[in-house]
Amino acid sequence: MIAQVRAELLKVRSTRTTVGLLLGMVALILLFVLLTGLLSSVAPLSGTENQRQLLTIGDLAGVFAALAGVLLVTSEYRYGTIRPTILFTPHRSRVLAAKLVAATLAGIAFGVVGEALAWGLGYLILSSRGITLALSNGDSAQLVLGSLAGVALWGAMGAGLGTILRNQVGGVITLLAWGFVVNPLLFGLLPSVGRFMPSYAHDSLIGLTTQHLLPPVAGGAVLVGWAALLAAAGLLVTARRDIA
Amino acid sequence: MTAVVVAESLSKRFGEVLAVDELSFELEAGTITGFLGPNGAGKTTTLRMLLGLAAPSHGRALLFGQPYAELEYPSLRIGAVLEATDFHPGRTGRDHLRTLGQAVGVPDSRADEVLALVELADAGRRRVKGYSLGMRQRLGLATALLGEPELLVLDEPANGLDPEGVRWLRDFLRAFASDGRTVLVSSHVLAEVAQTVDQVLIISQGRLVAESSLEDLTARIGGTVRVRSADPSRLAAALEREHIHSSAANEHALIVSGTTTERVGEIAFAAGVAVHELVTEGASLEEIFLELTTGAQP
Repeated sequence: MIAQVRAELLKVRSTRTTVGLLLGMVALILLFVLLTGLLSSVAPLSGTENQRQLLTIGDLAGVFAALAGVLLVTSEYRYGTIRPTILFTPHRSRVLAAKLVAATLAGIAFGVVGEALAWGLGYLILSSRGITLALSNGDSAQLVLGSLAGVALWGAMGAGLGTILRNQVGGVITLLAWGFVVNPLLFGLLPSVGRFMPSYAHDSLIGLTTQHLLPPVAGGAVLVGWAALLAAAGLLVTARRDIA
Repeated sequence: MTAVVVAESLSKRFGEVLAVDELSFELEAGTITGFLGPNGAGKTTTLRMLLGLAAPSHGRALLFGQPYAELEYPSLRIGAVLEATDFHPGRTGRDHLRTLGQAVGVPDSRADEVLALVELADAGRRRVKGYSLGMRQRLGLATALLGEPELLVLDEPANGLDPEGVRWLRDFLRAFASDGRTVLVSSHVLAEVAQTVDQVLIISQGRLVAESSLEDLTARIGGTVRVRSADPSRLAAALEREHIHSSAANEHALIVSGTTTERVGEIAFAAGVAVHELVTEGASLEEIFLELTTGAQP
């Protein structure tokens, strides 16, 4: 199983896709942190809630981790490498498990880069403008660790979604539509249901205090549940379907 | 000795279409078998079932006595290529091999070995998108050889190869099988594999229409005799008296069917006609192939 995970990690590392995603993530986080940190005036930026908003920009890593997860699976179908992959490891559940682990690990890597960037630059901007960190140590730790865990789980959710859908374009569009349209829409219209969507479970995990959110622990459990649900559905369809 | 490959009433149904219909055959170790049929005959579907990528609707396939997916490390005993294009274009050839090899504990040094074996050592660190079709075919073969298999299953490996590449492949498969290893190679062009294989399985519309050695297949249709002579019209008349039909190949030669060179030689001698050349011509394999595969029309 360790060998299988190593092989999947090599798949992640050996194409330029991952580097491209990382660069995209870095650019986006830099842009948002700079805009938020420099365009806001000093007074609001001194409050905990606004500082949290600034420092949580590193969470964008979740989108890129999920994309990496989707691509780890769907590019195998797009380029046909799923055939040799399954020929070398006919136990499809083992392949899926290795992909989930690899996507989770890739998610952690994305999360570490994203958090380091947002916190590093965010802290730099705050201190250069003479603003002290208003977040307590506990809040900061929850923001960082919760975010890392959430981003890692987004990687796994991406791999699960990719396994279910197989189609690369369909997988990417579904992911983005789900995360950026369906989740906010549900939360806006029906918060009692929408708070169980992964985007909002993630928000509660990292300690955001938006109204209607679940308690942090429940948010974490819901995220794990989503990852497990997608993985189980992926396993179910993979075990049945023929490989074209 | 048990057969390396066994298909038992293997069938696959896609909705209304019966793509593979009660296919049964066995392959012995050390043989090279051509798996032939026109496009759409069910060759690839059969291979996918042999390799556990598709589940049979009915029947079963055993490799080394077990279904492929139930073998412990099948890629260390069986090497297979189904498509010549199964690579991520942005990954190098060597990394492609490493991603697969690492999953089953094959060391990276083996990737370099098989790259050298298929003459891709220099291209191994280049991304696959820069490979020609012939190079991709060879990288596919390298993939199959990664686990040092005893059985090779190749689907249309000669597609897109130039004549030099086809010859290289033929020599390679011959060498592979010479020490007791087994090859199953599919093609829709009989001539492509005729010089490589020991025996053929011919399928048409999912059904097995012939299973024999190449010689038997040729003999089944019967050859023709070509005779070049000083006086072909007198020879033709002499043959006609013996109820042997002939036709003019050109102004010096006749094509005689349904007989042997011995008989033609004797008749020419008796008629006092000088013979300049007397040879058996095998029936065109393509003719046999066409006859068999179109004869299966319902």
